[in-house]
Amino acid sequence: MKIPLHQKQHVYRPNKSWIARLHLDPWLLLGVIALLAVSTIVVYSASDGNPHIIQNHLIRITLALILMIIFAQIPPHFMSMVTPWLFFIGILMLVTVLLFGHIGKGAQRWLDFGVIKFQPSELMKLVLPMMVAWLYAYETFPPSTKKLLQGGGMIALTAGLIVVEPDLGTSLLIAMSGLFVIYFAGLPWKIILGTIATTILSAPIAWHFMYDYQKQRVLTFLNPESDPLGKGYHIIQSKIAIGSGGLEGKGFMGSTQAHLDFLPESTTDFIFSVYAEEFGLIGVGLLLLLYTFVIGRGLYIASRAQDNFTRLVAASLTMTLFVYIFVNIGMVSGLLPVVGLPLPLISYGGSAMVTLMISFGILMSIHTHKKMLAK
Amino acid sequence: MLSPQHFLDEQENSKQKYLFKQRLWIAFIFVLLCFAIILGRMIYLQILSFNHYHSMAEGNRISFTVIPPTRGKIYDRNHTLLADNQPTYILKFTRERHMDIDALVKQLQTLLPSISEKKMAKFAQNMRHTNTFNQTLSPFYLTEKQAAVIAVNTHKLPGITLAARLKRYYPFGSTAVHAIGYVSRINMDELKTLDPEIYRGTDSIGKSGIEKFYETQLHGKPGLQYIETNAKGRVLRKLSAVPPVPGQDIQLTIDIRLQKYAESLLAGKKGAIVAMNPTNGEILAYVSQPTYDPNLFVDGISQINYNRLLHNKQKPFINRAINGQYPPGSTVKPFVALGALERGLTTAQKKIYDPGYLEFAGHRYRDWKRRGHGLVDLDTAITQSCDTYFYDLALKMGIDTLHDILYPFGFGHKTGIDLPKEASGILPSQAWKKATKGKPWYRGETVIAAIGQGYMLATPLQLAKATSILANHGQIVRPHLNIQPPPLTEESDTPQQIPIKDIHNWNTVIKAMTHVLHSVHGTAHKYAHHLPFTMAGKTGTAQVFSLKDAEYDANNIKKSLRDHSLFIGFAPVKKPQIAVSVIVENSSLKAAPLGIKVAKYYLQHCTDTPFLHKTTLNSIP
Repeated sequence: MKIPLHQKQHVYRPNKSWIARLHLDPWLLLGVIALLAVSTIVVYSASDGNPHIIQNHLIRITLALILMIIFAQIPPHFMSMVTPWLFFIGILMLVTVLLFGHIGKGAQRWLDFGVIKFQPSELMKLVLPMMVAWLYAYETFPPSTKKLLQGGGMIALTAGLIVVEPDLGTSLLIAMSGLFVIYFAGLPWKIILGTIATTILSAPIAWHFMYDYQKQRVLTFLNPESDPLGKGYHIIQSKIAIGSGGLEGKGFMGSTQAHLDFLPESTTDFIFSVYAEEFGLIGVGLLLLLYTFVIGRGLYIASRAQDNFTRLVAASLTMTLFVYIFVNIGMVSGLLPVVGLPLPLISYGGSAMVTLMISFGILMSIHTHKKMLAK
Repeated sequence: MLSPQHFLDEQENSKQKYLFKQRLWIAFIFVLLCFAIILGRMIYLQILSFNHYHSMAEGNRISFTVIPPTRGKIYDRNHTLLADNQPTYILKFTRERHMDIDALVKQLQTLLPSISEKKMAKFAQNMRHTNTFNQTLSPFYLTEKQAAVIAVNTHKLPGITLAARLKRYYPFGSTAVHAIGYVSRINMDELKTLDPEIYRGTDSIGKSGIEKFYETQLHGKPGLQYIETNAKGRVLRKLSAVPPVPGQDIQLTIDIRLQKYAESLLAGKKGAIVAMNPTNGEILAYVSQPTYDPNLFVDGISQINYNRLLHNKQKPFINRAINGQYPPGSTVKPFVALGALERGLTTAQKKIYDPGYLEFAGHRYRDWKRRGHGLVDLDTAITQSCDTYFYDLALKMGIDTLHDILYPFGFGHKTGIDLPKEASGILPSQAWKKATKGKPWYRGETVIAAIGQGYMLATPLQLAKATSILANHGQIVRPHLNIQPPPLTEESDTPQQIPIKDIHNWNTVIKAMTHVLHSVHGTAHKYAHHLPFTMAGKTGTAQVFSLKDAEYDANNIKKSLRDHSLFIGFAPVKKPQIAVSVIVENSSLKAAPLGIKVAKYYLQHCTDTPFLHKTTLNSIP
């Protein structure tokens, strides 16, 4: 690291490691693999050693790793090139979902192609920030008001199409990934603080337009004990799991809350509670360190990126990862309302893991392709 | 890796890049801040609230089921089982999340076609009102066959398990039901007052008789079985147990043979027979007819059966021995006579002339014998039950003296028997009339009070108690059904012996009562032929319907208006072992032979030394 980067770029190094050849970032890879290892352990415990679930989980991890590697090979300028098309397709699919989508759990989120079911909102998690970044790629920071409005419009359109599915949580998170791009592009603080203030003030109006189940979630969040067997059940049981873990935890496979079925969705949304119950505050601290490391590496990659598009995409994807972590842990520990959201890289589950690993692939691609750009 | 210095090294002289890196730093600090919040939350949950959540997790994990105690059995004095517990089956329903109760009920109906629709509907309603993870029991028991059907089909019945229960069973059925009582389902009112800790897991409770009076002893205390359960309430393993404390068995003073015999004597009639050991108050037979089958109540009696019993004109629910309040009639005469002797109001030798009536204040108080008994002394007055003699005595003593004479024998207040809801009878006095009727006492009312008519009311048990005290020469006994009666409480201050002025007065009255049975003029003489022991007694007739001066003709009036026939007695006279009181309501059947038969049966079949010979007849002149 002592050698200035621009010099390093001009040195031809025929003995590149296999990691470099595969366009992988060793530090990010290390963090991701460490998290996936933790994930496998917790999923094993939370599923009570169900071999079917473990097998599925390992297959998904393998597939996701392969996808990550594949995306790491795609040069960022190519991504930039196809972004508008992907965005157009994404919007088209969201409209299609609204019109013909498969209804699952009361919301139309899936597109059924016969062979595979596909969730267009999952695609938009990646494509929307890329699209907004594409918009600002050749702008000087901060962008003009016109461009800011254009970006805001894209975010509003995407979020709007998802919120009517209805999926408020995903919609807010996807909007967030777009808004991060605007933030990193240098949105004036006046506007940021003004928007936050407006949002808080307009909360009562938003309440008016919410669906009943969303209102219930908010109410339950505010006072889960009011309905211990109904709406508040999940949160209460989750807090019991976390709290009873104590400093050192009950040990691997020691989660009574999960093993005795008191904890709902213990392998997916509430997997953090199982982790916290079994590994205690020490385990939680280590996990947060691991996450901080991965996020720090992501932001570092953004800081080293060579053009605006890659800068914005890297920073936004990293911060989106952070938001997922924060919202999930905040939810299961009773800080935030219940949103059906997995814990990144730890929860058992397909599409979220795939999207996440692709975003790591993109980050790695950004970090490892800049030399080629510099030539 | 991300030191500020590093960023500064890398900083290009581009304002744009500087702005971006500034934003990155702010974002990273924001991330650290948020993670610090999460860590703070975790410290709050896992360290500061650890004890709270730890106990909640344990509470989740560990639950307990109640092991109901085995109810104490009830035996008669010879250890014959009167109330037993029999194993039976009951359905236990555990509510889980998302259950189709309608489908479950339909399934149960097809499997158990013999369970009435009403009971099944009740069960379904209970199931719906059960909270998640809680349990409810079926309001019906299953036979072994039905239980087998359920056991085979458990996979079709989510949430339903079979539980073994002990069910009360009364092998003698309707015999002695008014003494033993019965258990039945706990009702809503009882639920409010019961200690939930003790009655957890129990669905029935003593409703009457001994079963009610000794409920606490019979019931026992439930035990607990700690178990690890999952969120669905399924038992994963048993942890530890606190064994239940079984209810205590109770041995009654009743002799079931005598009981059955005495009940058979009153079969088809209305009335009561109380037989007790005069020396210690042990009730030997406790008959109230008609009776009913207590086994009907154990499962919860059907409405039809209940109404049939409730609206039965014979009123089988009335516990006549303690709640039937009757005018004692002539049976009070020995006590009145004794009181008069002890107070010096008369002597055994003093005679009065009985013309067949006593005229007082322009009214003729008739004797039962229209032409009168002629010259009558105390012995004749009791032996032949001369009313006029007692009318005369009554006017001499007045109502308050009469009250004071009869009160120590137990009239007008509860005997203190170990049964719930005993009636106290009525023993009139001037004060009593003032308090209850708000009117002054008329001396004419005193006249009929001396022959046990008018306001005076007594229960068959009170009569048996009074007879016992007389037989004991004044030693007061408390009747009881439990062979080990509970210790006295408020009554402990009352005297245990009526003060005796002259023992000859007592013997005079007892001898007169002996003549009732053994003298040719005695009112019960015709029933006492060939009695192998001497017995003292007194017959009585209680007028339920005032016939004024008209001639009494038993065959001409409606059966329900016929007088009650009464009898009190004890035997053997020298060393009393049994005292009886008998009341036959509105019937031509006489009470005296029943009382004599009960005493004879008891002395011949139920005692250690049967009395087969006339041992004391030589004392009769």
